[in-house]
Amino acid sequence: MTRHWWVLALVLCAGLPWIPGLPLFWVTLGNGIGMSAIIAIGLVVLTGIGGMTSFAQASFTGFGAYATAILSTQYGLSPWLGLPVAMAAAAVAALAIGAITLRLSGHYLALCTIAWSVSLFYLFGNLDLVGRNDGISGIPPLSIGGLKLIDVRLSFTLIGAALVVAVVATGNLLNSRWGRAIRALRGGAVAAASCGVNVAQARMLAFVYAAILAGVAGWLFAHLQRAVNPTPFGLNASIQYLLMTVVGGVAHVPGAILGAALVVLVNDRLQDWLPKLLGTSGNFEIIVFGGLLVLVLQVAPQGLWPLLAKSRTPRHHKAQASPLPQRAPRAPGAPILDVVGLRKNFGGLVAVADLSLTLAAGEILGLIGPNGAGKSTSFNLLTGVDQPSAGTFRLAGQDMTGQPAPAMARAGVARSFQHVKLVASMSVIENVAIGAHLRGRATPLAALLRLDRAEEAALFAEAARQLDRVGLLDLADRPATSLALGQQRIVEIARALCVDPAVLLLDEPAAGLRHAEKQALVQLLRHLAADGMAILLVEHDMDFVMNLADRLVVMDFGTRIAEGAPAVVRNDPAVIEAYLGSPA
Amino acid sequence: MSLLQIDDLTVAYGGIAAVSGVSLRVAAGQIVTVIGPNGAGKTTILAAIAGILPAKGRVTLGNADITRASVETRVERGMSLVPEKRELFPTMTVAENLRLGGFRHRAEGRAASLRAMDECYALFPRLAQRRRQLAGTMSGGERQMLAMARALMARPALLMLDEPSLGLAPLIVRDIFHTIAGLRASGVAILLVEQNARAALAISDHAYVLEMGRVTLEGDSAQLAADPRIVSMYLGTAPA
Repeated sequence: MTRHWWVLALVLCAGLPWIPGLPLFWVTLGNGIGMSAIIAIGLVVLTGIGGMTSFAQASFTGFGAYATAILSTQYGLSPWLGLPVAMAAAAVAALAIGAITLRLSGHYLALCTIAWSVSLFYLFGNLDLVGRNDGISGIPPLSIGGLKLIDVRLSFTLIGAALVVAVVATGNLLNSRWGRAIRALRGGAVAAASCGVNVAQARMLAFVYAAILAGVAGWLFAHLQRAVNPTPFGLNASIQYLLMTVVGGVAHVPGAILGAALVVLVNDRLQDWLPKLLGTSGNFEIIVFGGLLVLVLQVAPQGLWPLLAKSRTPRHHKAQASPLPQRAPRAPGAPILDVVGLRKNFGGLVAVADLSLTLAAGEILGLIGPNGAGKSTSFNLLTGVDQPSAGTFRLAGQDMTGQPAPAMARAGVARSFQHVKLVASMSVIENVAIGAHLRGRATPLAALLRLDRAEEAALFAEAARQLDRVGLLDLADRPATSLALGQQRIVEIARALCVDPAVLLLDEPAAGLRHAEKQALVQLLRHLAADGMAILLVEHDMDFVMNLADRLVVMDFGTRIAEGAPAVVRNDPAVIEAYLGSPA
Repeated sequence: MSLLQIDDLTVAYGGIAAVSGVSLRVAAGQIVTVIGPNGAGKTTILAAIAGILPAKGRVTLGNADITRASVETRVERGMSLVPEKRELFPTMTVAENLRLGGFRHRAEGRAASLRAMDECYALFPRLAQRRRQLAGTMSGGERQMLAMARALMARPALLMLDEPSLGLAPLIVRDIFHTIAGLRASGVAILLVEQNARAALAISDHAYVLEMGRVTLEGDSAQLAADPRIVSMYLGTAPA
């Protein structure tokens, strides 16, 4: 596909319905597909990419439709003014509902959206303002100059144009700073938070964006149907939209269009053919439709689009970009991290009893200890994943105790994960660019309008610089999870470096690496330390950590039992006893 | 004649071998230990023997080749695993956990089940006092006792213990190891996976040392306990 595919698409939207001999019925079906597809694209962003299942999407269509209907019937304003109002109504409703609901996740969130869907349906049906169950009729059509867009062929062009805009805008959003944050939500929210992404904001953004698309569809619906009532905004409709995205391919924008087309067309054809085959005595089409759905999902659990088109990660062309501002480098030896008396209780269990340590710029500190010593818990405390029960944590003199992960990233703490957390659907360089989240300023609106390109180029130039630093620039455009495990660990380090950290925390960086890979990792970490980076690593591989670290802190039963140079620590009787145990 | 015989066991996670070509034997009534540092592959070996992880190689219990058998078939044939994380049923009482442990002998009826439970209570008097307590509310040491008692309820020929000392205070570790050594009298064979090398070597007959997924040392436990190579295996070699 060329970059200007959308021009062709617009021409098709204008021309297609005028093909001589084309039954108007097909054009009307096309209109239904287009409106559904706009809603389904929102669901792709929300559910397929953001990982939040919503059964309330039709309700937001309702907010949009009712808003414009009231505006144009009761206040006599132009239907065109209704578009921003419909979008705003859907957005405000989503903000309010999201503020209450989005703290939930998984099936709790899905159930809660069902509750919203049902209650909003009855709200629409019982409010005098929106005409109760009769709804609002006599809505004026859209018109350009004197031309009223009543002909379905004109509507087709309008809906097509709206769909093209939705596809382009969604593409722009997903390929932006905030878009990468949304794409990182699914599965890797902890990783995104460690890069400074405010996860709650990213979730809300996906929720509101999906609602706005639904609001646009509602606006189209109101002025094309010229009447609205609660039925098309109920739970059944919401389920239909979800079905479309799932059938088409829940994580793919083109899948939304494919799914909408298939569901609308198959439903229509079944309603036509089945009564001829089986008589008109029952609703066989629902049974057959259900059977077809089960079949499709058996054959293509990811939906149909991935079967048709192999998804590719985009190539990022090197562009001229001004470098991002950087944290002032610290003189080697300058103290950075100062932890005093850190403690963490889980109920009655004391995971970390009393941990104190210091770390200076340019120093590599290893945190070691036998299984269950409290290393992972300590790591979570230092990275803001867990909050300590007591103790203080200072970073360059600033008290960071109890700060959440994004605040830690902002203050200059970056980390890697024991179990690599890269976004599978993104390329290596896109994953690394998530690390630079806090170093960009562009808003989601700027991204939708493509006003963020200069900043994007700068973020990607920084990501490329860090990939070059760790020696993986050649693999920048490969899908992240196609790399070997060792390389994926290095990609995580590049992502952490993109945060522009003063302190790098590494959770078992050598686990699963081959010998040569470990050697390369030692070299890399020594280089980083020579540049003034303070590095703390939790590690099980003793040969690796004994060779790499300047100093070791040994933990057992949640307390520090030894500290010092590797050669000293490994001969410490307390350390030997902690590792080998005492005879029973 | 070995009770358990493992030949050339290889387990891989996504192309990376966690355990490669491990062979080991456990004779009836013996205590055999597998020691090694974190990440050596000890837990993986037990999971493969129990049938939880797919593996290449051959697993024989008694006279039966159980390489392809399901987890529950292996339990039926007489092996019980006490997992590293204990994996108790936290919302059930001590007694209910034990009764589920005896599921293998369900056909023998309730009286037999109660008798078996009484034997477990005799072995772990602490559990007898707590039979109505929910498993999820117990301390670490009590959980380990309950996990062992639940496994014994199956009256296995082979008991496999995964890091029974993990996360427990030294005094409780001592208790647990005394209990394990005492089980020898009941005739059950024990395969003990431990990071606590000294305690494991002290109570076992034979030991295998596992490093990076391979057996690097093997021998009589008393001899290995004096081997200086064990220390450098756990704490690495000193930097030059």
